[in-house]
Amino acid sequence: MRAGFLGGVLLAAAGYTWLAFAELAWLSSAGRLGPGFFPRIIGVSLVALCAYSLLIDRGASRETLTPYWRTTVVLAALSALFVAALDVLGGLLSTIAFMAAALWILNRGRHVQNAVLALALPLCMYLIFRVWLNAAVPRGMLGLPF
Amino acid sequence: MDIFGNLLLGLSVAISPINLAYLFIGVVIGMVVGIIPGFGPAAALAVLLPVTFGMEPTGAVIMLAAIYYGSQYGGTITSILLNTPGESSSVAATFDGYPLAQQGRAGPALVMQAVASFIGGTLGVILISVLAPAFSLVTRSFGPPEFFLLVMMGLSTLIVMVGGNWRYGVISALIGFALGTVGVDLETGNSRFTFGSAELIEGIDFIPIAIGLFGLGELYYAFYTGLHASGSGGIVQYQKERRFWPTLADFVETRVTLVRSSLLGFIIGVIPGAGATIASLMSYSVEKSASRTPEKFGKGAMAGLVGPEAANNAASSGAMVPLLTLGIPGSAATAVLLAAFLLWGLTPGPLLMAQKPEFAWGLIASMYLGNVALLALNVFAIPLFVQMIKLPYRLLAPSVILICTIGTYSVNGSIVETWLMFAAGLAGFFMKRHGFSPAALVLALVLGPLGEQSLRQSLTISGGSFSIFVDRAASLWILGITVAVLGLGILMRRSGVRE
Repeated sequence: MRAGFLGGVLLAAAGYTWLAFAELAWLSSAGRLGPGFFPRIIGVSLVALCAYSLLIDRGASRETLTPYWRTTVVLAALSALFVAALDVLGGLLSTIAFMAAALWILNRGRHVQNAVLALALPLCMYLIFRVWLNAAVPRGMLGLPF
Repeated sequence: MDIFGNLLLGLSVAISPINLAYLFIGVVIGMVVGIIPGFGPAAALAVLLPVTFGMEPTGAVIMLAAIYYGSQYGGTITSILLNTPGESSSVAATFDGYPLAQQGRAGPALVMQAVASFIGGTLGVILISVLAPAFSLVTRSFGPPEFFLLVMMGLSTLIVMVGGNWRYGVISALIGFALGTVGVDLETGNSRFTFGSAELIEGIDFIPIAIGLFGLGELYYAFYTGLHASGSGGIVQYQKERRFWPTLADFVETRVTLVRSSLLGFIIGVIPGAGATIASLMSYSVEKSASRTPEKFGKGAMAGLVGPEAANNAASSGAMVPLLTLGIPGSAATAVLLAAFLLWGLTPGPLLMAQKPEFAWGLIASMYLGNVALLALNVFAIPLFVQMIKLPYRLLAPSVILICTIGTYSVNGSIVETWLMFAAGLAGFFMKRHGFSPAALVLALVLGPLGEQSLRQSLTISGGSFSIFVDRAASLWILGITVAVLGLGILMRRSGVRE
């Protein structure tokens, strides 16, 4: 897993470094240090250190997953769905849907408590952010007034 | 104006009813944040930053700073009663705090940690009042080479001092630097790594990254380790009766510890990158070495509890010195505070105290009042906070995700930044799982543009010669302190102090 993560960082760093060399100049037209100066140093250092770490840590013992990895994946997927739903359902409806789904998974069997929390918390958030602070809350595509 | 005159000016700002209200809200939120495992002050500050948009700048910063130092108080309650630190800076409090609670001395331990936090915090603020103006005067002569060296000092200290693999710490910082180069290059006007996106022209805002790494990332990791399933069954019960209060012997036994640890904590806090966690662990180590009864440490020594507590609170005060006088944050939490300053058009640096005395001294004066409020809250409202410890994590977690997501969107009304926050959350989880440093990434992202600009300016001034970094006395001083701190960090690693 760690090697996979390091490999991912190495790939991204290689792409970053390639762009820094291909598109950004070391010196500006005025002869001063250009926009590519710092990114090239950062990119080369990152690639070198990631490659070195991959080499050094290749013999590290295999990591085992905890029994809770499934819950973590479900929670991360729910968070992604929540962000996606913001643009469609708008702030209030998507937060109610997210809270209901998350509590149904995490707090099983307590239907009344879950229903109260799924309605009360999003409503509080909406009142604080939209009404009190006049902050931006997504409207969504449904054209609802909240 | 003298220090007392400035403090009176600051007090007149801090005691306005609205600022007092923000201060009280801030310390209560800070206490709660400290109690919740897996949700630190950096995440809380980042999430609550948008909430302050409707406030007056001084009141907003007073509240955010109160959350920051208030969290140092709250984290210890769970260390003592549950053997689970609410904050990394409260880890040392578990060594003797939990054994004290198991011996039926939870009440005295809770009161003594509050007193130690108060003394550390208050001594720290007194030292800020005296030293910050002097620091401002010294740092006015700093040029690009000194600022570049300070950036490097902060990052290298963070990487060496905070445990884990140093290579992964450097990789984390380099990722932060790389993210910091996205956007228009201010010196030449060239776009860098924007891929034609209008959203990326101004660069990557660090608020979504900080909320993702410290809010979502920590939360996913807490779930991965099963925090939601553990409950609060192991909580040590205590009774608010005669034995609740500490004895005179407790105070007499720890009087030197309190002063020594506060001074040590403040000095460590002033060094960018070192921070409250290192201060508390070093204080524990120093107190154990200085004690006539070191064998009691780890078995319920009061000095082993109050030393780290005084140190971590003094360190959080000390960290405000480089933040206010140089604009250099020493930790992820102070990096978010820096963002708050900038959002309000306040540029921390050598001239801040001279140009905005009502703001700088208002903040410092509010910290005196905040520490008094926290002492009272800690002693008299402990039962309330103990009830909070019992709140199940499975109910808290969805609320935290909700606040992180809506909070990020509300900063700029951007769904792209909300997705960025989610991506940073996933990255934060993997970084935490594999021993990388999200704090180094955020600090490098914040300091990257300053580091790049000062490096390019320095080399332009010197005609490309790196000797500019050793030419001036100030640069040599910074280099000397950096080498000393790094040497100490390496020694700590070798001697296994952190373990």
